[in-house]
Amino acid sequence: MGDFWFEFVEITQTIGDGLLFGATYALIGIGFTLIFGAMGKLNMTYAAASLAGAYVGLAAFTLVNASALVVFLVSALASGLVGFIVYVACFRFIPIDNHLAALMASIGALFFIDEIIVHATDGSPLTFPAMFDDVMLELGSYGIRGDLLFVFAVCIAGTFGLLYVLYRSRLGLATRAVSQQDVAARLCGIDVHRTNAVTFVLAGLLGGIAGSMTAAAVGVLSPLITVPLTIKGLIVTVIGGLGSIPGAIAAGLLVGGLENVFLYFRGVNERDMYVLLLLFVFLIFRPHGIFGSAIDRD
Amino acid sequence: MLELRGLSKHFGGVKALDGLDLTVDEGDIFGLIGPNGSGKSTTINLICGVYGETAGTVHFRGNLMNGKPPHTRLRAGIARTFQNIRLFPNLTVWQNLWVAQNSSQDVSAHGFLPRWFGATRRTRKEIARLLELADLGHKGDELASNLAFGEQRRLEFARAAAARPKLLLLDEPAAGMSRQEIDNLGRRIRRMRDSGVTILLVEHVMELVMGVTEQIAVLNFGYKIAFGTPGEVQRDKAVQEAYLGTSASKSRPVDGSA
Repeated sequence: MGDFWFEFVEITQTIGDGLLFGATYALIGIGFTLIFGAMGKLNMTYAAASLAGAYVGLAAFTLVNASALVVFLVSALASGLVGFIVYVACFRFIPIDNHLAALMASIGALFFIDEIIVHATDGSPLTFPAMFDDVMLELGSYGIRGDLLFVFAVCIAGTFGLLYVLYRSRLGLATRAVSQQDVAARLCGIDVHRTNAVTFVLAGLLGGIAGSMTAAAVGVLSPLITVPLTIKGLIVTVIGGLGSIPGAIAAGLLVGGLENVFLYFRGVNERDMYVLLLLFVFLIFRPHGIFGSAIDRD
Repeated sequence: MLELRGLSKHFGGVKALDGLDLTVDEGDIFGLIGPNGSGKSTTINLICGVYGETAGTVHFRGNLMNGKPPHTRLRAGIARTFQNIRLFPNLTVWQNLWVAQNSSQDVSAHGFLPRWFGATRRTRKEIARLLELADLGHKGDELASNLAFGEQRRLEFARAAAARPKLLLLDEPAAGMSRQEIDNLGRRIRRMRDSGVTILLVEHVMELVMGVTEQIAVLNFGYKIAFGTPGEVQRDKAVQEAYLGTSASKSRPVDGSA
């Protein structure tokens, strides 16, 4: 009985940790889905741009010993700027219906950003400042890691900030109008290029938060994280349903939680394999994702 | 007000519009008719900037519009409705109007600091008036996709009006409407014109066109084949052959008086 109870606590504890860390996946998924919703295109650079933002934040920390808050702010701003550059380089001048060209351009930019990071850091991992990593909240048999709780809280705050802008501001209204009916939006006086650029910057700001939070939770920044984070983000986007923000949130937490379950039972080597299996289960049984139907928009 | 000179649009080898000359005067209700595929919708799309022209010019209030994107033309005063309704389905009725009202003017026009969140009191009043005019006063918080067909049509009309246009392009606004709705639409169009908006009406429903317009141009195969008052056009032999047949000329004109 004691053994069983111990194992139960272990499993639920690991799921809880996963859920908290899953908030970063949710943020990455929201970024992918936001741009897909606005332009109907995948921006493959998104996770890389998010980490690039975190690198800039780290530079601020190393060079001028900036405080943690400043580090996260700088990360967000830098990632927003990268988002804008990516928009101009890979999306702005490619005809709207040429999806393949934009996809290839953004994959190219993904590797370009990755190369810049490798070049700047000699490819070696750098330590990222963690917050509250010495705090542990005790709840009966459970412990909640302070750093994960912080990551979770910041990600939730970022999400709500985005939702507020999207649903309560004129800017957000224009963004949603473009994603729902871009021809009519243009003919209602909306400058679609500008709105799309704003969407990229908004997503980038969010990505910078996600990138620095990922780094803060893991404790290091490494070029090796880029591609796995891209893949996780895409999985979350697909499971949540392309274009659905609530879907991305749910899927991010789901993937984060289940990932740790796989980790617990099958070890770190097999973990991502099972995450990918989860993706295929969704593609076969729920191809539109958890809340997906945004694909069927006009 | 609107001047088209030698306006042409070719899609590959297909000449959707071939050298159209057209002048719409300020304060007109101008009809543009013709069989399917005669170039009416193409003309509208060229005027509002959805397509780029193959040749020719579009002048609006003396300014050359060629090459200007749709949102610039809207801010210059050209608004339109769509043949197949294109509302923002997941915005509320109120927000649909807000988008149009918002985007039709420069942000700085609201004062030194742009209002990023929420609408000004003047905006709210204006939108309330538009909702009332469209008989949608009680539906402001409804999602546009939940409206009945006729209500969606009225909302599209109101959305175009929200941009405070000087020229309104109506692309088959009566399609799928009942007799009574068409009568109402005729009254709305007149009222719109009386408030100082010039109207270009593309329409298949002859009762409406003959009832409300003052000038009509008839297109066929991308050419203008006739021009004149409703009466003149109806008597035109080429038009009857191309399009009207005999039954349409017998139909009752819409009561357009307000």
